[in-house]
Amino acid sequence: MSVEDILAAESELTHLLGGQQAVVLSTRIRLARNLEGLPFPGWAKLPQRKETSDRCVTALEGLPKFRRGHVVRMGELGDRDRSVLVERHLVSKELAAGKSGAAVISRDQTVSVMVNEEDHLRIQVVKAGWHLRGTWHIAEQLDDALGGVLKLAFSDRLGYLTACPTNVGTGLRASAMVHLPGLCLAGHMDKVTRALNQDGLAVRGWLGEGTEAAGNVFQISNQQTLGLSEDAILKHLGGWIKHVVEQEWNARRKLAQEEGEKFVDRLARSLGVLRSARLLTSSEAMNMLSHLRLACDMGCLPEERRHLVDRLMIEGQPAHVQARAGQELDSDGRDRRRAAVVREALKDFPEVGPPTA
Amino acid sequence: MSKPTQCSLCEEAATVHLSQVVHGKVTKVHLCEACAQKGGATDPAVFQLADALAATTPAPTLTCPQCGFTDLDFRKRGRLGCPACWETFGEALDGLLVKVQHEPAHVGRAPAGVVPVAQLRRRLDAARLEMTAAVTGEDFEAAARLRDEIAALERQLAS
Repeated sequence: MSVEDILAAESELTHLLGGQQAVVLSTRIRLARNLEGLPFPGWAKLPQRKETSDRCVTALEGLPKFRRGHVVRMGELGDRDRSVLVERHLVSKELAAGKSGAAVISRDQTVSVMVNEEDHLRIQVVKAGWHLRGTWHIAEQLDDALGGVLKLAFSDRLGYLTACPTNVGTGLRASAMVHLPGLCLAGHMDKVTRALNQDGLAVRGWLGEGTEAAGNVFQISNQQTLGLSEDAILKHLGGWIKHVVEQEWNARRKLAQEEGEKFVDRLARSLGVLRSARLLTSSEAMNMLSHLRLACDMGCLPEERRHLVDRLMIEGQPAHVQARAGQELDSDGRDRRRAAVVREALKDFPEVGPPTA
Repeated sequence: MSKPTQCSLCEEAATVHLSQVVHGKVTKVHLCEACAQKGGATDPAVFQLADALAATTPAPTLTCPQCGFTDLDFRKRGRLGCPACWETFGEALDGLLVKVQHEPAHVGRAPAGVVPVAQLRRRLDAARLEMTAAVTGEDFEAAARLRDEIAALERQLAS
């Protein structure tokens, strides 16, 4: 059973194989691609979607990148397994909602190609921390490899052709997952979001489009894909992320300085609750883990503990909690189980001290 | 029991069903009692009714020859039917692209083995203008660099 293997494996995001950083949790590149001569998945009949899936999955499985990787077909998975994949960002909610979607995932879970989502192919590459160029190069190489084995729909005038006019051209969506507790606590997030929107960047919650920003985690990405080169898109996003990270640090330092003991108290209380609670809801856990991550960044807790916080943010989500328990749980059952997992993970955590960063 | 067919003009259940055949093409019209009365379905000249109906339901003006997707489908879904739709609806989509995108022309990668002719031509035109400006401004270093770029672009386009 492939999803169990995915859960058990040490992955890029849960075990921070690529190293981890303050503020930027991960960097993501997405390329939308389609096959020539076949209708887009949303308009295709079932046999055509099947043909798309067969052709794409076969081509992908043959690439070196996916050696000893995973192939998951949505029609063969139960609700919980599909939710686990969504919570790990390996597939989108849209893909998980349909039956004819599939995903081919690399062994280290840095690369996942969705088949039959809105487009025939959605290449996704994710690295922990902020590595825009490195992430881009992996996507670029994979795109070249795919273009070598599949005939991709491309127009001289409009570039890579996609189902939605908002993706045509480069088909590139570059994004950073950022943790902004400083800007949120200082009440600046609306202002930041407006500034980013005005300059062509989208700000979303942590599971993508239409989701809430639990735990002060936001996804910032480019909106335009046509008329700008890949390089220009990456530079534009990169410049803004650097700026947002600076603003976040300014807000954190200002808060720590102005609030003094109150700042440390807030973080210490969150650790206290996480270490003692018997019932923890998903959003409560996310918000308190956000404080713990902030504490690690600021030197209130040892920095090397941060990776554990990042892992708990992923593994504390509802489907992950149930998958680990190996059974379906009701809401209370999940909250009880989540609290137990978090208590166990944090039992030898040191006390929260004053900031050093 | 299956759900009754809805009236083509309102939300009521249709009880009057008309079929019209013109040049071998069958058009079906379903009406409720009230709309049928209003539209004159009791009149023997029901053909007029189908015409009147065609005027109230917007007809697609563009259909993709490859996948059968129409401009009405696009209005409903906001997504296209297949890659060839971009050709079919080309001009109609340009207005939208101008709104949501940076420029309605691709700049960037192409699949291996594909020479992006239009993109190279655009760059060639721009480089020529830039070179004229560089020469006028006596920036000979930039002019030399642009001359090399123009030569390279011309070679690529000639192949």
